[in-house]
Amino acid sequence: MPTILSWLNVKRSGGGWGTTPLKNAAAVDTDLLILLSETGFTIEARRLQFDLSILAKHIPFLLEGTWLTFKVCLISVIGSLVLGLLVAAARTSSSTFLNRLSAVYVDMFRNIPFIVQLFFFYFGLPEIGIYIDALSTGIIALSIAGGAFTSDVIRSGILAIEPGVIEAAQVSGLKRATIFRRIALPIALRTSVRPLGSVFINLILTSSVLSTITLNELTGSAKIVASQTFRPFEVYFVLLVAYAALTWSVSIVIGALHRHLNRNQAEGVA
Amino acid sequence: MRYGDFTPYDLVLLLQGLSVSLALFVSTTLIGLLVGTLWAVIRFYRLPVLAQLVAFIAELLKNSPVLVQLFLVFFGLPAFLKINVTPTEAAVITLSGNSAAFIYVIAVSAIESVGRDQLEAARVFGLNRWQILRRVIAPQAAAFAVGPLTGLLVNQLQVTSLISVIGVIDLTKVGNILNLRTLKPFVVWTIVGALYYLTAKLVAYAGARLETRLRAHTKWKGL
Amino acid sequence: MISITGLHKSFGSATVLRGIDLEISQGEVVSVLGSSGSGKSTLIRCINGLEKIDGGRVTVDGFDVSKPRELADARKRSGTVFQLFNLYPHMTAVQNIALAPVEVLNVPRKDAEAEARRLLQQVGLSERADAYPAQLSGGQRQRVGICRALAMKPSYLLLDEVTSALDPEMTAEVLSILANIAKQGTTMVFVTHEIEFARSISTRIAFLDKGQMIADLPTEDFFSDKGMAMPRVAQFLSKMRKD
Repeated sequence: MPTILSWLNVKRSGGGWGTTPLKNAAAVDTDLLILLSETGFTIEARRLQFDLSILAKHIPFLLEGTWLTFKVCLISVIGSLVLGLLVAAARTSSSTFLNRLSAVYVDMFRNIPFIVQLFFFYFGLPEIGIYIDALSTGIIALSIAGGAFTSDVIRSGILAIEPGVIEAAQVSGLKRATIFRRIALPIALRTSVRPLGSVFINLILTSSVLSTITLNELTGSAKIVASQTFRPFEVYFVLLVAYAALTWSVSIVIGALHRHLNRNQAEGVA
Repeated sequence: MRYGDFTPYDLVLLLQGLSVSLALFVSTTLIGLLVGTLWAVIRFYRLPVLAQLVAFIAELLKNSPVLVQLFLVFFGLPAFLKINVTPTEAAVITLSGNSAAFIYVIAVSAIESVGRDQLEAARVFGLNRWQILRRVIAPQAAAFAVGPLTGLLVNQLQVTSLISVIGVIDLTKVGNILNLRTLKPFVVWTIVGALYYLTAKLVAYAGARLETRLRAHTKWKGL
Repeated sequence: MISITGLHKSFGSATVLRGIDLEISQGEVVSVLGSSGSGKSTLIRCINGLEKIDGGRVTVDGFDVSKPRELADARKRSGTVFQLFNLYPHMTAVQNIALAPVEVLNVPRKDAEAEARRLLQQVGLSERADAYPAQLSGGQRQRVGICRALAMKPSYLLLDEVTSALDPEMTAEVLSILANIAKQGTTMVFVTHEIEFARSISTRIAFLDKGQMIADLPTEDFFSDKGMAMPRVAQFLSKMRKD
C-alpha cells in the first residue's frame, strides 16, 4: 500500500501529549505501534496515512455523481434565470401588486436556509398530493432559491441603467414590453454577468445539500464511497478539491463571457 | 392526545434548537472574525509563504460546499488523526473556518479601500506599518466592512442549518424531529423557516444600525 | 401643430413651469431661451410626455400627451434629441437608429437599416455606422442621436440642450448639421444656450424666466429694440454675450 503521507501521532499512556525518548517499540498492526519510553511510559503511536489510490476503483461511480450534479445545476441555472427574469420584470414594473409579491418572494427565499426550503418541499409536497421524485424536488427547490438571488442581481442591473437611455426608448414610442426586452434586459444582463456568475457558483455549491434528500449527486455518491472504503478523509478531501476546481473553472468561463459581451463597451475611439 | 400531536413542550424544543443555532452562529462568527482578520494582517505584512498559504486556503474554503467541509472535519479528521471529534466540535471548526475565509476577503478589500495617498502620508509622518494599520487603516476599514459583513452574517446564519446533517440538535434538526413525529411538514417547516427569517432580519437590522453609527462616527471625526 | 396652454409643472414644492402658453406650427424653428433653472428642459419633457403635467394642456397634432391612449400617437409625431445623447449602449449606431422604425412603424429591418445608413451618411458618419456608442466621440454620438430622432420621420424635432455636453469643436459639427435640417423645413423646438446659433436658424424666440414665458417674438424682434425693451431679456443677453 503506497503511503503518500505518514507521520507519528504520539500519545503517552499516562495521558498528555509530547515527545519522549524511545526505548523499544513493538508493532501491533500496520497502523498502531506500542512504544516503550525510557521513562517507563508506554507510548501509543499511529501511522497516519493519506492514500488516494484506494479511490481509483470508485472513480466511475463518482463520475456518475458528478454528471448528476452537472445536470441538476444546468437545469436549475436555467430555471433560476427564467424565474429571475420574470421576477425582476415584476419588481421593476409599475404594478404595486406585482411589486410587493415579488419583493416578498425574494425576501423570504433569501433569508431562510436552503435546507429548510428543501425539506419544506420534499416532505410537504406529498402532503398535498404532489408526488415527485427527489431529483425533481431538488431541481425545483434550487431553481426557486436561485431565482430569488438571480432576480435581485438582474433588478439591480436594471436600476443601474442610465434613466436617459430608457427615456430615449420611451419617447421613440416603444412599448413597455419592447423596452424591457430590447433595451433594459440586454443592458442589465451585460453588466450583471459577474454577479450572476457568483449566484450560479453558489448554486453549484448549494446543490451538495441535495444529498440530504437521498439524491446521489457528487456529494451523495462520495458519502457512499466514504462508507464503503472507510477512508472518509481522502474521499472528502478529494471532493472538496473537486468542487473548488469545478467552481474555479466556471468562474474562468464567466470572466471570459463578461469580456466577450462587453468587448464593445470600452471607451475610446477605435 | 395522540402521539403525533404538537405539545407545548415542542415550543421549548424549538427554542432550544434556536438557541443552539444562535450560540454556534455567534461563537463561530467571533472566531471567524479573529482568524479572518489575522489572515488579512498576514497579507498586509506580505509575509512570504504564509500570505500565499492563507490566500489559497481562503479560496479553497470559499469555493467548496460547507457540507463537504463539515463531512471532512466530522468524518474525515477522526479517521485520519485517530482522534474523537464531536458533532459540536466539528460544527465549530467548520463554520469558524468558513466564516474566516469570507471575512478574510472582506477585510482585505476593506484594507485596500483606504487610499494609497493616506498610507504614504502616514509613512511620511514616520508611522511604522503596525501604527498605520492601527491608527489609519483600521477605523476606516471597519466602517467600510460593516455593510458586506452584515450580508455575510445573514448568509452564515443560514449556513449553520447544515450542521443538523451531522447530528447537532440545532433549529433545523428540531424541525426534522418534529416533522418525523407529527407528520405535519408544512406546519413544522413554516415555523422553522419563520424563526430563521426573523433571526436573519434581526441580524440585518443590527448590522444596518451599526453601519449608520460607524459612518456617522467617521464623518464626525473627519480626517 | 404643438399647442401648449396654461402648462403648470412642479417637482414637490418647487414650481418649475407656471402657466406656459405656446403654439408651434409646421415649418417653424422655435428656440427656447432662458437662464439655467428657468424650466426650458422641463418644457420639452412635457411635450414628449416624459414628465406628468400638473395643469393645463399639451397637444401634438391634436393628441393630448396627458392621456395615456393618445400619448403614443403624440410621440410618433415628435422626435427628441437629448443633452446626454442617451444612445442604447449595447447597439451599434445603425441598430440604435433602426430599432424604433422596426418596432413601432413595422418597417422591415433591411429597409430600416438602409435608411439608417443613409441618415448616417448625411451627417458624415457612414464610416462609423457599425460602431458602438462607447467607440464614438461625443460629437459623433450626438449625430447618431439626431439620426435616431429623424429616422421616425417626425413632424417635430425636440432638441434639449443638445450641445451642452460637447466641447466647442464638436458643438460646431453638431450645429452645422442642425442648420442643414432646419433648412430642409423640419419643425424644430430648440432649447439652447447657443444664442448666436438660435438667432441664425430660428424663426421665433420664446424666452422663459422663472417658469414663465415673458417673451415670444419673431427672431428679428427679439434681438432688436423690442426685445431689449424687456429688462430681463436685456440682462440675459448681455450676460450671455459676456460669457
